[in-house]
Amino acid sequence: MSSANIVVETNIILAYKMSDDESSKDVTVRLGAAAGDGIQSAGEIVTKIFSRSGLYVSTYNGNQSLIRGGHVWFHVHAGESRVYSLGFGIDYLVALTQLAYDEHYMNVNRGGVIIYDSSVVKEHDFPDHVTKVDAPLTKIALKYEKRPIMKNTVAIGLLCGLLGLDFKLVGDVISEQFFRKPDVQKSNVEAARDGYEFSKQFGTLKKLTYDYTKRRTFMHADYAFALGAVAAGCRFYAAYPMSPASPILHWMASNAKRFGVRVFLGEDEIAVVNATIGASLAGARSLCATSGGGFSLMQEAIGQAAMTETPLVVVDVMRAGPSTGLPTKTAQGDLNMMLGISHDDFPRVILAPRSPEDAFRTAGRAFNLAEKYQLPVIVLLDFAIGDGGYATVENLNPNIPIERGKIVKEAAPDMHNGVWFKRYALTEDGVSPRALPGTPGLMFVAKTDEHDEFGHDLSDVLAGLREAVDMRRKQFNKRMIKLQGVAKEMNPPDVFGPDKADLTIVTWGSSSLPVREALERLWGDGFKVNSYEFYDIYPFPADVESMLKQASELMDVEQNYTAQMAKLIRRETGVLIQKYYLKYDGEPIYPIEVVKAVKQHIAGSNGR
Amino acid sequence: MDPRVYESDTRPDWCPGCGDFGVLAALKNALITLQIPPERVFISSGIGCSSNLPGYIRTYAHHGLHGRPLPVAVGVKVANPNLVVIAAAGDGDEYGIGFNHVVHTARRNHDVKLIVMNNEVYGLTTGQLSPTSKKGQRTKTSPDGSIIYPLNPLSTLLGVGATFVARGFSGDPKHLSMLIQEAIKHRGFALVDVISPCVTWHDIYDEVRQKMYKLEDVGHDPSDLVAALHRAQEVDKIPLGLFYRSEEKPTFEELVSSEVTATIPVESVRNLSEQEFAKAIEPFQ
Repeated sequence: MSSANIVVETNIILAYKMSDDESSKDVTVRLGAAAGDGIQSAGEIVTKIFSRSGLYVSTYNGNQSLIRGGHVWFHVHAGESRVYSLGFGIDYLVALTQLAYDEHYMNVNRGGVIIYDSSVVKEHDFPDHVTKVDAPLTKIALKYEKRPIMKNTVAIGLLCGLLGLDFKLVGDVISEQFFRKPDVQKSNVEAARDGYEFSKQFGTLKKLTYDYTKRRTFMHADYAFALGAVAAGCRFYAAYPMSPASPILHWMASNAKRFGVRVFLGEDEIAVVNATIGASLAGARSLCATSGGGFSLMQEAIGQAAMTETPLVVVDVMRAGPSTGLPTKTAQGDLNMMLGISHDDFPRVILAPRSPEDAFRTAGRAFNLAEKYQLPVIVLLDFAIGDGGYATVENLNPNIPIERGKIVKEAAPDMHNGVWFKRYALTEDGVSPRALPGTPGLMFVAKTDEHDEFGHDLSDVLAGLREAVDMRRKQFNKRMIKLQGVAKEMNPPDVFGPDKADLTIVTWGSSSLPVREALERLWGDGFKVNSYEFYDIYPFPADVESMLKQASELMDVEQNYTAQMAKLIRRETGVLIQKYYLKYDGEPIYPIEVVKAVKQHIAGSNGR
Repeated sequence: MDPRVYESDTRPDWCPGCGDFGVLAALKNALITLQIPPERVFISSGIGCSSNLPGYIRTYAHHGLHGRPLPVAVGVKVANPNLVVIAAAGDGDEYGIGFNHVVHTARRNHDVKLIVMNNEVYGLTTGQLSPTSKKGQRTKTSPDGSIIYPLNPLSTLLGVGATFVARGFSGDPKHLSMLIQEAIKHRGFALVDVISPCVTWHDIYDEVRQKMYKLEDVGHDPSDLVAALHRAQEVDKIPLGLFYRSEEKPTFEELVSSEVTATIPVESVRNLSEQEFAKAIEPFQ
């Protein structure tokens, strides 16, 4: 038995496609600068301009854990038809600093463009068949302010000129972006116009079909999940700041009062998760979110929620670990933690949305599952689709079904003095009706010690007595049996591509997206490949074994060192996947890497 | 109100003579005196002898993890401000593993009441040093006497801006009931530290009875923070009563409420309307 991870050279993806290829209906843009140069804002402006030209977008924010200096970049992939991931190489590189040039010039496609300012950036090893656009960005920016802060705006104008976009739209978007800074709003538009004018000497280098009547919606999965949660009746949100989950907190905080969400910024993640459990007990649909490190602190309380059978939804926006790891970089390394949260066995549900759209849909579903089965539901997002990447979202349906499960609203007449509510009544499906505090006559103790049907301790004066031993086993079974109900609601992986293929890529969560773009490329090259995209992770969906056994050959693609999903698959189905493409360097998976990995396998070629 | 409404069919498993019996009696008496129906009361406890209290008084309750009664209580109160929310736990829970939560719950002035059954020892784990154990106290973990000074919860809490700080004694349940009533009536966070002796590992009934006096008997003004700090620092004598009370600060729950949160009861979950949703999506276009 030999299994090996495929090693793909990831730092040079040079000249994979011709950017000026007429048939190419998409474009990739990379903006690079230092933190504090406003590259995030510039990236958002470009994303918005594309979205309002009717294009689909997918972006990635290559930021660092610092506020000023260093090197940050923003990548935008836009296309006339749906784009899923970051595309192939860089068509347009805007290098505002030397480091931005040095880090990215080698990834510019043939037929591409490098925009830079030779008064700041010294070009070297300039790639063949790439258009050099040396523009006085700094000089133009200095016309408007003492510091050349607007050079990114000048570059946006220039970029949009080269792409043949209407300046009116460019001006409108910039104006909107600086809405809160009226003193620089007009000058930024003017600076962009200067850049746009400068582009005219090069003519239009690439033009997609733009439809200015279409405004496409774009957001990242953090926002999409928050929106989905509120649309599904979320009434309580708690968090402690942690990248890359903080945008959920920011969105909730600024929308809290409007949508009736009570937001609690806890003193630590332990307070956060316990408060969320408290709010849920009190009847609110309650949510908290964090990243891996914060989740590590929450673990004991997740077991508590399972034991007290309190509905709980926790989001982990994964980042590269272990420990504090790489706070602004991406990974899918937390699956094992979710499978083994805290001590001893208890039921939990794990969901891994693949995209912002998926995240939106998952929020309401997570609440429904948590409340119907009264257990913790873990949602795994990651930096790549969370804080780190916007994508076009379509067809968000706010009419989310709300299923709150068994709730008793009124006490039976025999609930007189001294009688407790049977909160943990033994039932066939393991789910006992719950009561909300405030309801007369249904008092109970939500008990994290082992308990009987009333919530009385089995842990002290009864511990070890025959009756208590029997009840302990019954309560344990009752909790675990709930998973059988949940399992019926778990979806098998989606198949992307043809039903039959020479090679099937097994992937999950956000890694599904670069795989899709890789598959589209591979189909064009004549390969018969498809993918199984897992998004309902645990309890493991039924009938997956037969799907996997039908596949000719399997290859696992995910973002962690030990192939955590492949190991779960083996545990649940006995199917051993022997080929992997595993990435754990913190950078997102690029479609080209998957293309190369597949070609190394089935074509035996060198991946080109 | 029928005084039996708070009765439970479960008998306490505490040692005969345990201080916690006095606390349980005082708490029941306070709730009955204030005529609060039991379904409006939520008690959140932790781990240890004292945290078994919820099963012995019939209210809604959560018997949770060690040190975490307050965050659970905070979640309950924020979600449903109509409930009377009480955290009841021991000195290990609240002054040891979970002290962080006490400080921040006080600072944010959540409208929850914290009753700490302080016995200066870890009882259920068979008598180890606790954060409030006295210097020189002999326990299993300090066979030659503790080398460490105890935490002073009262002066610490006064320092972090708690709006209600009191100390009671389980040997005087009538006085303790009065303090708990005042705490429940207080608009904001309240700490009632209760000297609740452990008859098995650290019996200090006699010592407390010798040293105690009541603040109301010496003309202490509970609106005077500096005087409260002085009283809280006393070690030769044990002052009981209300050290400090102020209702100047708003509660956290008042601050996070709005027209919408007031009109949507927390349990009535609903979808956003088409218009609300369209408005929410606008910034993403």
